[in-house]
This record gives sequence, C-alpha cells and structure tokens, in this order.
Amino acid sequence: MASTKPTTKEILARAAGGSETPLYNPQALAQIKAGFDAWREASVRPADRENWAQAPATVLGSEIPRNMLYTPLDVADLDYARHLGNSGQAPFTRGVHANMYRGRRFTRRQLAGYGGPEDTNQRIKFLLDHGATGISIIFDLPTIQMYDSDDAIAAGQVGMSGVAIDSVEDMDRLFADIALDQVTVSLVTHYPSNSALLFPMYLALAEKRGIPWEALKGSIQNDVTLEEVVRSGPEYIPPRDCFRIQCDNMEFIRRNVPQWNFQTLNGYNLREFGTSAVTEMAVALANLVESMEELIGRGLTADDLGQRAAFFWSIGNDFFEEVARIRAVRRLYGRIMTQRFGVTNPRAAWMRCHVQTSGVSLTRSEPLNNVVRAGFHALAAVLGGAQSLHVDSYDEAYSVPTEEAALLSLRTQQIIETETGVCEVVDPLGGSFYLEALTNELESRILDELAEIEGKGGYVAAVESGWLQARIRDYFHRERERMERGEIRVVGENAYQGETKLPEISVFEYPEGVEERMKARLGELRLRRDNAAVEAALKGLEDACRGGGNLLPASVQCARVLCSEGEMFKVFKRAFGLWRPPALW
Amino acid sequence: MERKIKVLLAKLGLDVHNRGVITVAKELRDAGMEVVYIGNALPEQIVAAASQEDPDLVGVSSLGGAHLSLGRMLIDQAQAAGLYPETVFMIGGVFSPADAQKLKALGFAGVFPPGSGREEIVGFVRQAVAA
Repeated sequence: MASTKPTTKEILARAAGGSETPLYNPQALAQIKAGFDAWREASVRPADRENWAQAPATVLGSEIPRNMLYTPLDVADLDYARHLGNSGQAPFTRGVHANMYRGRRFTRRQLAGYGGPEDTNQRIKFLLDHGATGISIIFDLPTIQMYDSDDAIAAGQVGMSGVAIDSVEDMDRLFADIALDQVTVSLVTHYPSNSALLFPMYLALAEKRGIPWEALKGSIQNDVTLEEVVRSGPEYIPPRDCFRIQCDNMEFIRRNVPQWNFQTLNGYNLREFGTSAVTEMAVALANLVESMEELIGRGLTADDLGQRAAFFWSIGNDFFEEVARIRAVRRLYGRIMTQRFGVTNPRAAWMRCHVQTSGVSLTRSEPLNNVVRAGFHALAAVLGGAQSLHVDSYDEAYSVPTEEAALLSLRTQQIIETETGVCEVVDPLGGSFYLEALTNELESRILDELAEIEGKGGYVAAVESGWLQARIRDYFHRERERMERGEIRVVGENAYQGETKLPEISVFEYPEGVEERMKARLGELRLRRDNAAVEAALKGLEDACRGGGNLLPASVQCARVLCSEGEMFKVFKRAFGLWRPPALW
Repeated sequence: MERKIKVLLAKLGLDVHNRGVITVAKELRDAGMEVVYIGNALPEQIVAAASQEDPDLVGVSSLGGAHLSLGRMLIDQAQAAGLYPETVFMIGGVFSPADAQKLKALGFAGVFPPGSGREEIVGFVRQAVAA
C-alpha cells in the first residue's frame, strides 16, 4: 500500500534548513583537506587506502563502514547549537539533563522473577538490600502468554524464567513489605494485551493498600512489536486490535496514573530476536509516531504524551556505534517531537531510555568472558547517556541468573558508577570527529528506515502484511551465515577457541512445588471469591472490547473482583478473534 | 536417489523465543530435508502431529526453562504412542551442562545448546536418521 502522507523524513527535512553557524571555517577546512590529501598519499599504505572504509563485523551490528581515520572533514557542517547543543538543551544530543549523572546516576535496575510471587519477593528484597535502586519484574511463560497457572497449556512451565501471577492476590504477595509509593517498578509486561491485564492488578493492589494512583512510579512495556512480531505463541489477536489496546493503555495511564511511563518502546527484544542496530530504533519510532497520532486524535496533546514516553534499547558489541546510536536516537526523537508534533515542553522532547546489555552477544563457551562483554556494553550505555541500566549476567546461556551472577551484574554497574569516573563529565565523547560522524550517519539511517515503514502504509500495516517480520528474518538468516563463514568472529566461539570443556559454574535451581502451589491457590480463589461479581466484570470487559471506548476501566474492575489473567484473556480472544501471523521460515 | 529425510519441528510449550528453531528449520530445508514446523505446541500436540506426519526425527526448541518438565512429558507420551524410540528426538535451547546430560538420559539423542553450528545440527540429523 503506497502512502500519500508525508513521511517523518520529509517533514523533518522541511523544518531542518542548513547549517547556520558551522564550527569549522571554510579556510580551516580547506587547509585540513589539503593536508589530509597529502598525508593520505605520502603516509597511508596503498592497502589501507583501498580499504579506507570498513564495516566492523559484529553481532547485531549495522554494517556501517568506518574510515581508518576521522577528521573535521567528516563533520564539516557541524553546527554546535543546531546539531549538539549543551546538555539539557535541544536537540538533546548530549543528554536530556544539564548535569546528567552528576545530578542523578543511572538507575541500577536488575531483573527479578522466578517461581511463585513469594520467591521473587525474596529476590527483590535481596537486590534492594544490595543497593539496587529500581526493580524490573519479569513474568513466567504462562503469565506472559496470558494463561492461568492451572490451564493445561501451562503444565510444567509455571514459575519458569519469570514469576507466576494469576490474580491481584499474587501481585500482593509479590510486593509484600514493599511500599509501592517508595520504589520505582518496571513491570516487564511486554505486550499491550498482558499490560492491559496485569497493570490493572497493580492498580487494584495500590487501591487495596490505600495508595493513590498518582503516587505510583514505574513503567510497563506495552508494545505491539513484542506481541505480534517478536513473540512466538499459540494465539494472537489481530494487530489492529492489539494497537488499540496499546493506545488504550497509554491513554488510561496518562489520564489516571500521571507518574507512570505508559509505554516503553521495546527495541531490545526486537534487536535480540535478530535485527540491526538501525531497524531496532526505526521500528520503535514508527510505532511511536502512529501511537501519537492516534492519541492526539483521542484528545491528548503531544506535550502531555511525550513526557511519559520511554524507550528500551539493546546495547551490544560495537562500542562506538552503540554510544553514537543512543545519541542519534535522542536527537531524532527530539526533532520528531518538536518539528513534527510541535511540542513546547522540553520534557516531551527528552528521549529517556532504559538499557539492557545484549544477551544474544553472550556465549555459552567460556562464560566468564561474558562478564567482560557485558562490562563494555554497560560502559557504552553510560557514555551514551542512558537513564537506567540492567547488565546481563554471565550465565545467561545456561539458566536464569544465580544470585551470585545477578550480584556481579549489579556490581559491574556500581564499579562503572563509583570507580571509573565516567559519570563526572557529561557526554564525554561528544565532539569526537568519529563519534559525531557516526551519530549523523545513524540518525540518517534510522530516519530512512522509518520513512520506508511509513511508505508501506505505516507501522501497523507493516506488521499486518508481514513486511516487518520478513525484514527481521532476512537479517538473522544472513547473520547466521556470516557467523558460519567465520566473518563475524566471537572469542571462544569461532575465534581463539580454547578447550571445549565447559567450566564448572553454579547454575540456578528453580524452587520446587511452585506449580502445585499456584494451582491449589487459584482453585481456592475461584471458590472463595464472589463469582457473580466476576461474571459481571468479565461481561463488562467484553462489552468494552466490542465497544469503542477505552477498555481499561473494565479490566481494572476485573482485577478488583479477583478475575484471573487467563479469564480476562479469554474475553480478548472472544471479542477480537484470532490472527495468524506470517510464517517466518 | 536417496530418500528425503523428514523432520518435524516445534516450539515446546509457551516459550516465546523462535529465532533458533526458525534458523534450524531453514538450515535443514536447505540441506534437502522436508521440514514441517508446527509452532508452539504441547507434548501431546507434538505427538499427535508426529503420528500424522510420520517424520524421521522430531526436534523441539525450549529456551524458557521448561525443557526438563516438558521434555520428559514429550518422551513419555511419544513412548506411550509407540513413536519412541523408533523416531529420533532432538532438542535445542538454553540448558545448563547438567540439564543437557539429563535431557540425553531422558531420550533426546541430540541436545543443542546456544552456539551450536549448522554442520553440527545437520550432520547429527543425517547420522541419527541413517543409524
């Protein structure tokens, strides 16, 4: 489907104009050019001249060619105020706050989630006791895929790789002894659908504890890409309905839970699934633009919405590319919000992000090497100016991280923060000819891919048609080929291989009896609760799904009267029907 | 002419990660095998599909931690249906070294953790089916 609407790229091009006050004067540039040409002829070996631009072959890289040396000629039109600005000033390339980490360090946020809610409650307390400043909750497979612990489909998987939550009572156990108005909680509800089922349980819990929704701080993910593109699951609702639920979540939360980030556009899982450094960000921005348009149509303003948009990026191996990428998307987001959506509140133009270090870039062989890899990833994220960080543990290719491995990840963050001194200076790599040229190139490529998606009829259309899925599949098949050919080299895996023997590392053991406990508890809940109220609430949810209004008030009501997640998801399936995603192989 | 090897692939249970199984599906097909990929399925659904498709080998993928619980159910049910041990079973995913041993003991002839290469997997299938 061809689109006649102008693309974001076209809109930004109109607003851009030329470089008003270039940093380098023409005379200096001419001198540098003459000197550079002479140097290249006299001092650079012919082989290096021929291979002047080379793309690093890295896992999940963009394949942008890099010159052997960067000079002012590569950023000849750099206009300090227009392209960089000081930190806290538009276009926010150098950071969203003037003082950045001097004012506030990045949030040291580690994932927690396994077993039943009591088990994860222990891990949360352990992390908070050791200086974590935020908590991310991950859910087990049945919870994330929206089935109850006692559903036949959940057999053998309850409490695995996340925490099992069936109802608001489990949410209560998960946060036992934790003051909801004192912590910031990231509920890693990847999908719009489960965000619309699980976040209402959090809201109902706050009500029960007498904490006003206005006092709650944290985030959900709520991203169509995760539900319809990245996920493998038995049942999918159609992308249009999924997008509607995503926007319902955003609208409801913006109006009722003002300090809560209503969406964390998740590039991370998309990239880790297998896509380039550029596609990761282009897809997130495509979803953002379409959601903004929808919500502005519902009467919200871009100024109001922009303040609560958040992003989640994967930061991996190509060190400078990763630093540049965070800067590039921060500038691009700022430009989109101001030039396309006309925001005037600076907060609404701040690209705030959580970063998780890349899991796919870690290896099973010689797992301690992963400590080093994740350390570099984390440093890149900090030099890029991320707001919040999770460092992957070295044992990710074995199991859920052990307590020891999770602590080492937290310590990695604390060492960067406390011992390296990198937090003292804002955007320390800014002004590097290389980094600025790379930032420009990345911004331009992200914008090109965004325009490509918009040209396909927009974000939802690109998901519906399978275009986006095909692009991702092509990327990861090609990457696998390059790994197989030895073109992408990974230490201990296909480069510098050592003994194949795996070292002894201790591995996480799941607690016993979680499934039985969750099933028994849910069975007891179904007998104890007011089932007439449950039926009425589920009927209300179905009406809301079929009707045109926001469905969140109805799902909050379901949570209040102790409906289970699976019961609520059944309503979605009945109301919206099922969708068959395109085959990817 | 050599008979075409037929492989049935599935994601085990509710696991959400499918890059690995899609990669294996493509590599086996590129190696000249007939591949049927049924997506997410429970052990009983995999056994039913295998009974119908009659593959030489069944491969399942599990990165979500449920490999032992669901893997055991799969082999038990395949045995009850008379599929195992005639049909070869393999599994790929995230396992600890100790769990990889347990999966072999359960009856998975091929166990492929992260980092497994194409030749390793394709070679295993050819050899296991020929044996």
